[in-house]
Amino acid sequence: MRVLLVTTGLLAFASSVLAAPPDAQRLADRIDAHLDAHLKAANATPQSQADDAEFLRRAYLDITGRIPATRDVYEFLADTDPNKRGKLIDDLLDTPRYASHSAAIWRAALAPETTAIPEARVFRFGFEAWLRLKFRANTPYDSLVRELLTASLSTDAENPTPALRRPEDPNPLAFYAVKEAKPENLAAATTRVFLGVQIECAQCHDHPFGKWTRDQFWNQAAFFAGVGRQGEGVFAPIAEDLTVRQITPGMGKKPVAALFLDEKAPVTRRGDTPRLTLAEWVTAKDNPYFAKATVNRVWGQFFGRGIVDPIDDFNDANKPSHPELLDELAKAFADSGFDLRFLIRAIGRTKAYNRSSARTDASQDDPRHFARMAVKGLTGEQLFDSLVQATGYREGNGRGSTRDQFLSRFALSGKPTEPETSIPQALGLMNGKFINDATTLETSPTLLASCETPGLSTAERVESLYVATLGRKPTQKELDRVVKYIDAAGKDRLPERLGDVFWVLLNQAEFRLNH
Amino acid sequence: MVNSQLVSRRGFVATAAGSGWLPTLAARAANDPARKRSCIVLWMSGGPTQTDTFDPKPGHANGGPFKAIDTVAEGVKIGEHLPDVAKQMKHLAVVRSMSTKEGDHGRATLHLRTGNLPQGAIEFPVFGSLIAKEKEQPTADLPGFVSITPRGFGGGALSAGFLGPQYAPLVVGGAGETFGTEQTGGLRVEDLGLPANVPQRRADERRELLDDLEAVFLASRPGTATKSHNSAYQRAARLMRESAAKAFDLSDEEEKLRDRYGKNRFGQGCLLARRLVERGVPFVEVSLGNWDTHDNNFVQVKSLCQTLDPAWATLMGDLKDRGLLDTTTVVWMGEFGRTPGINPRQGRDHYPNAWSMVLGGGGIKGGQAVGKTSKDGMAVEERPVTVPDLLATVCHAIGVDPEKQNMSNVNRPIRIVDQSAKPVKEVLT
Repeated sequence: MRVLLVTTGLLAFASSVLAAPPDAQRLADRIDAHLDAHLKAANATPQSQADDAEFLRRAYLDITGRIPATRDVYEFLADTDPNKRGKLIDDLLDTPRYASHSAAIWRAALAPETTAIPEARVFRFGFEAWLRLKFRANTPYDSLVRELLTASLSTDAENPTPALRRPEDPNPLAFYAVKEAKPENLAAATTRVFLGVQIECAQCHDHPFGKWTRDQFWNQAAFFAGVGRQGEGVFAPIAEDLTVRQITPGMGKKPVAALFLDEKAPVTRRGDTPRLTLAEWVTAKDNPYFAKATVNRVWGQFFGRGIVDPIDDFNDANKPSHPELLDELAKAFADSGFDLRFLIRAIGRTKAYNRSSARTDASQDDPRHFARMAVKGLTGEQLFDSLVQATGYREGNGRGSTRDQFLSRFALSGKPTEPETSIPQALGLMNGKFINDATTLETSPTLLASCETPGLSTAERVESLYVATLGRKPTQKELDRVVKYIDAAGKDRLPERLGDVFWVLLNQAEFRLNH
Repeated sequence: MVNSQLVSRRGFVATAAGSGWLPTLAARAANDPARKRSCIVLWMSGGPTQTDTFDPKPGHANGGPFKAIDTVAEGVKIGEHLPDVAKQMKHLAVVRSMSTKEGDHGRATLHLRTGNLPQGAIEFPVFGSLIAKEKEQPTADLPGFVSITPRGFGGGALSAGFLGPQYAPLVVGGAGETFGTEQTGGLRVEDLGLPANVPQRRADERRELLDDLEAVFLASRPGTATKSHNSAYQRAARLMRESAAKAFDLSDEEEKLRDRYGKNRFGQGCLLARRLVERGVPFVEVSLGNWDTHDNNFVQVKSLCQTLDPAWATLMGDLKDRGLLDTTTVVWMGEFGRTPGINPRQGRDHYPNAWSMVLGGGGIKGGQAVGKTSKDGMAVEERPVTVPDLLATVCHAIGVDPEKQNMSNVNRPIRIVDQSAKPVKEVLT
């Protein structure tokens, strides 16, 4: 069996070592300059900066995928360092949680079939494990993409590569398996996720808005022409025939050869996979799509909408809201050696990302101005992991677990800034066992601590629940209302009443949303 | 949608039941021009055998031991273990020429329930969610799609997909293995009731606290996210209220009627379906499992029919008595049929090539069998019907435009039913 050997990322690594470290604050200032000019032209009034607690919760949810722990809130609020927000962003990017949250996000982007198709769900674990390793090591994004596109596949059809050995083992082949190892599916995902181009519409007809033609779609598919699975189903093993360099779009059609999107012809050496040639073109520093598509995707993750939106639909009829900003971001990202953490460090330092999500002026309603922070829905992962953080619940995360049930029940669909809540979801949060246990003294670590720590006033007990849940202290008005609610019932009912307050906090929109 | 008019009508029904007033009421309900059409799907999980139910092959070796019996529809014969359904046949149309391609439970279930096979990242909604979106009244107390004792293969089989969670079904589960005679008939809406340790008064107090404390945040962040959160909680609370929760309480049904449906989960589920349709729920699904009869098919199918036959027949009659049948389309189907040939274990295996399903009630021209299979049952000889054909037929019966498009999660508009669909015109009124 011959397995391909792949070289990865050496050049990018060398260049990032030699150049001066890129300055995240400088890029953040440039971003704000572009946005401010746009706001001024639109005569829109931007919202002022979020307070520390609002910012802290948002940064935790966006970077680590869950709300901050109580001690993180108190430490951050007490910190007098004027640069503490920038430092927080840097620190969070170094945590293992950044890697696991990013893995979940990119898994959903690269292999949405693992959500959409029940039998493909088992691939989530190994694919996220593989992505986690990459994000943990801050592998340059271009290297990550090259590794994925050139993942080694057996070239011996008699002895194909298993798509799945042990589900938990790090495994990039999920990308191939859930796309049924079909050239057209792999090409569609590659251009959509890595280049922001939805060329798959051109699979059947010329693209309605863009310049893409059917032939161009099949030109892309031809890079994967030799890839195929041996047998049926998503678990079938996969092999690649390196001698196949053309693909036939359908019965009676002429075979089509590989061509890059810019119409140039690739040169693939004998014995190499055309995927290698494609990967090199896709991730080249001067590729006209790659860096833009990526910064736009990350931007969308943090702001709820892209500079081009939907984030993966670059076409002539869907223009960027801030074209110069997009260009400058893309260049800075490429110059940094495709360093995702650098990009996030810069985004996190902008005034725009630091704005409050509260609405103070009608001009802030147009999301294209980025005049206030968007209110975003939580993914199933973010919601469950935040509930765990707030309640002190402990459980493994195997298949069929409570976490797994939450992921399917609370999966986010549709636009991230327009999340919908269903009746069954509301019923589950109001009356379900998880929340009931979490708000009942005997089964709730958080409530127990709030209730039984000696020497605290009612107000202090209430504050501890606010901080654990919403990541902020209660306002005086809230405190008055809640303390009255508790004290009216008498001392012996303190656990029950504190449980009620905790229930209220966990059921609030402010908890359920990333704002 | 328990508005006061409906509530008073319901009270009326309760007192009038069994006293000879029903025909008048039925006429009134039937003539109510504002009455919305509904759909009840009886989902036979596992793939029911057509040869032993709706496409008998007497005289052929594949026919097996069951006899074919006459029905009230001339020339339409069905399996002997569905005698009560046979009496309802003038309201039912059998489609004997279902011809599909998937023989795997998971894929076939997805295909029948969404109208589509998996296509990459597209999260196809189940049919019930699509119909709920078209027919639901946003102010209704009850949701647009209720699934009773869901059974079925494929974890995502009940997903509202790209339509979003607000169109996901409200699930009514079976409580425990033993079937009691308690209020709900063993059926229970997940998380509808308060936890045992939370009495009503406490629930009201903390709910009031929630509304008070949340108000500032909701007002300061106007938009879909806060609006949808708030509206789901309001609707959930309305559903928990006695009047709405009453819809799920079978104890105010006549004991005799409950007996006729069958004192089992499926029978009571069918009764619940009628109650929900009566209250304006546009799509209800009741599942009956264990049709995957690879072994010992005939013993199993006879026993399944003893559950199915009285429940379904009583449902048809009950809908008719209440004037609901003309506006309620009833669909009976599973994910595929079973082999006409009998295997050595006296079983029948998966068979998508040629199988039967049944349509009835509102919008359906009953009393007929459409399509034909060969003598041995192996092949469709007349009028093959595909999955999109079938779903488009149901759309027409309940007055939904199958070509209407919804925006999908891949930013491509997708029709309720694929464009290739040709409704089975013969069965439509």
